[in-house]
Amino acid sequence: MSKKKVILGAQFPGVNNFTVWSDPAAGSQIDFSSFRHFAETVERGKLDFIFLAEGLRVREQKGRFHELDVVGRPNTLAILTALAAVTSNIGLIGTLTTTFNEPYPLARQMATLDTLSGGRAGWNVVTSPGAFTGANFRRGDHLPFAERYERAREFIDAARAIWQGGEFVVKSKHFDIVGRTDLPPSPRGGPVIAQAGDSDTGRDLAASHADLIYSRHGTLEEGQAFYRDVKGRLARHGRSENDLKILPGAAFALGDSQEEAEENLQAIRLQQVSPKNAIVFLEQVWNRDLSTYDPEGPLPQIDPEVSTPALAQGRASRVDDRLETARKWREIAEHEKLSIRQLVIKITARKQFVGTGETVAREINRYVQENAADGFVFAPHLTPTGFDEFVEKVIPHLQEWGVYRKDYSHGTLSGNLGLPRAA
Amino acid sequence: MTLDTPFHIGIGLDAGSRNFFHHETGPDGLLQRLDAAIDLITLEDRFARPDGGGLDAILFANWLGARTRHAGILAGAPVNVLEPFHVSTAIATLDYVTEGRAGLLAQTLDDEQIAAAKRATGPLNGYPADDRQSLDQDFDEAIDVIRRLWDSWEDDAVIRDPESQRFVDGAKLRYVDFKGSNFSVLGPSITPRPPQGQPIIAATVGAGNAAGGKADVDVVFLRTGLNDLPLLLKAASAVQPGLRYFADIDIDAGESKTELHWKTEAENVAARVRQWAFKGLSGIRLLPVRPERDLIPIVDHLLPALRAAGIGQTHQAKTLRERLALPAAANRYVHAA
Repeated sequence: MSKKKVILGAQFPGVNNFTVWSDPAAGSQIDFSSFRHFAETVERGKLDFIFLAEGLRVREQKGRFHELDVVGRPNTLAILTALAAVTSNIGLIGTLTTTFNEPYPLARQMATLDTLSGGRAGWNVVTSPGAFTGANFRRGDHLPFAERYERAREFIDAARAIWQGGEFVVKSKHFDIVGRTDLPPSPRGGPVIAQAGDSDTGRDLAASHADLIYSRHGTLEEGQAFYRDVKGRLARHGRSENDLKILPGAAFALGDSQEEAEENLQAIRLQQVSPKNAIVFLEQVWNRDLSTYDPEGPLPQIDPEVSTPALAQGRASRVDDRLETARKWREIAEHEKLSIRQLVIKITARKQFVGTGETVAREINRYVQENAADGFVFAPHLTPTGFDEFVEKVIPHLQEWGVYRKDYSHGTLSGNLGLPRAA
Repeated sequence: MTLDTPFHIGIGLDAGSRNFFHHETGPDGLLQRLDAAIDLITLEDRFARPDGGGLDAILFANWLGARTRHAGILAGAPVNVLEPFHVSTAIATLDYVTEGRAGLLAQTLDDEQIAAAKRATGPLNGYPADDRQSLDQDFDEAIDVIRRLWDSWEDDAVIRDPESQRFVDGAKLRYVDFKGSNFSVLGPSITPRPPQGQPIIAATVGAGNAAGGKADVDVVFLRTGLNDLPLLLKAASAVQPGLRYFADIDIDAGESKTELHWKTEAENVAARVRQWAFKGLSGIRLLPVRPERDLIPIVDHLLPALRAAGIGQTHQAKTLRERLALPAAANRYVHAA
C-alpha cells in the first residue's frame, strides 16, 4: 500500500504564553517583516499552509489587561492578503469568527483573498464569547450561546452560496440576504474551510462542512480514537474519508542529540511559563487572587472560589469544574512533588515532538501512517525565526522518505491538501 | 515653472485594476511605474453594487501595499455598513505593511447604494437607519471610533521587561469606551498603534454630498466640474481650513493616443494646476474614465509630461503624512507631563 502524504501547517506565533518574548532572538510580533520572514521560510520548506489565530479583544485578568504574554496582532485577512502578494504557493488560513461578522462582507473578503492569491485562501471557522468580545462591535452581544453553532453552520452555507458567483439569495433562521458578486466563481468550491471545535457539535460541523479539522490530541491512541470518530461521521453527510483532513496542533523542540533536544524543550517551557504566568494560570481555576503565593512553592490549600464570575476574560475556557480540577492538580503535584510552576508546565504541555530532525520527522510520519492524524499544525515558540530550524532539519527527511512534496505542484490550497475537489 | 509648495498627484482606481497589475508584472511593470510616479493611490470599494461588488478594497490595498514602495495607498470602505473595529485594525495593518503609507478613503453611500448594501447584509441592529441624517452622524462616529482605536495603544506600550515579567504595560492601553447613537465600542484595539500613529483619512465631496467635508478627515477630494471648483474649494476650506484639498480630474484617453495629445493634455492640466495651487489646492486626483484603456497612457505619457511641466515632483518623504506635510499625529490619550 502506498504511503499517505503528510500535511503540514505553520501557525504564526500568536497571542499567548507559548510565544516566547523574553528570548534575545524574539523579534517583532507585528512588523510586516516578521510575517514576511515567516511566510517565506515556510514556503521554502514547501509547507501546505500558514495558519493565523484571532482574538478580537485584548485579554483581561482580574479586571486589568493581561500583561505577561505577547499581545498585539494585525487584522487577520489584511495581513494574509499582504502575504499573498509576496508568496506564490503557500496556503493562507485565517481564523475568523461567525459571531461578529456577516456573510456578505466576510464571504466577499474571503473571495478577495482567494482571487488575489490564486486559490490559496482558507477560513478557520470559529465562534466567539458573546458579551466580552461583543463590546467591540456594533451588534454587541447579539447571539444566544446555544445558537453559536447553528449560526456558524448557516454562515458557511451562506458563504458558499455567495462563492458560487452571480446572484445569491439566502433565507435561513439567522440570515435574510440578497445580492450579487462578479468575482470569478471558484472551480474548486471556494476557499478551504477549517474547523477547530472538539465538542460533539464541533465534530459534526466539521464532518458536514469542513475540509480540515484542527484538533488537540496528544497520544497516538487518543489521536487514533479521534480520527476514527470524525472520519466515521463523514459517510452520514455523503462525504468520503479523503474529504476531511485531521490536523492536530503540535509543538517541537530540536537538538543535535535527543538529550540536547530535551534540554532545549525544558528551557523553552521555562520561558513560556514564567513565575508570574504560573500564578495567573492557577488563578483561572482558583478564581481568586493568588499573587502572594510562591510560584516555586506548593499549590494553595485554600479551595477555588465558585460563587463569583470568572476572573479571566478572553481565553478559550478550559475549566468546567473548578473544585474538581483543583483537587486533581493538588494530587498530581503532591504525588510528583511539583511546585506551582512545575505543575503548570506539566498541565499546559501540548503535543510535543522532541529530538533530532530525523527522530521528529519519523515520529510525525508514524502518527500519519498509523492514522492518528493526516498531518500537524506546528506552532513555533519564536517570532519570526521559529520555523527556520524545522525547515532545515525536519522537512528533508520527510521528503527523502517520499511522504512530503519536494516542490509544489498545484499552487492552490485545496491542491496542496490533496482534497478531491481540487482535482 | 516649478511650484513653491509641493503639489501632489494621486490616482483613483478601483478593484478592477488588479487585472492590469497582474498582467504587467516585473520590475518595470505597470504597478512599479505607477508607484514611482505618483504620490497616492485611492481604491474605491464597490460594496454591494448591482453589477457585483468586485474585490474588497481594503484587502486589495494590503496586496498593493506589499507590492509597492513609494505611493500612499488609501483603501475605500463604506463605513456605514461595516464594523468600525474591523476597519480600524485593517487600515492599521495596511500601515504596518506599507511602513507608514496607509490611509482610509471613507466612502458615503447614496440612497440606492445604501438600500443594496442593506439587502446584502440583512437588517441588523447597531447600524444606522436609512435617512441622510442618521447616515451622516454614523459616518462621523465611525471615523471617530476608528481614530480612537488607533490611539488606544501608546507608541511605547510594548515593554518586554524581564524584571517585571511583563510584555506590555497595561497602563498604556486604553478603553476608548465610545458610545454613539447606534453603537458602542469599548476597545482597546487588538492592533498596536500603527507607524503613522494616525493613518490618513480622506473623503470625497461633491456638490450634492457635503458629509465627508464635515467629518474628522485629513484629505478631501473635490469632485465637481471645472467651473464649480473654486466655489466648492472656498466653501469647504472655510469650514475646515487645515485639510489637504485635491481636485478630481477625469482622464478620458478616448481613441486618440498620439504623443501630441498627451502633451497638450498635460499642458492643459498643468495650466489649471498653477492657477489652483495659489488658491489653496494641494493636489489633483486623476480618475481614468476607463482604466483598462486609460491607465497605461496616463502612466506612460501624462505623468511624465506633467513632471516635465514641473508638476508632481516625487517627494522623498517616508510616510504619507510627511509627504502631505501633515503634522505628526499626537496621541489623544497621552497628555504632556
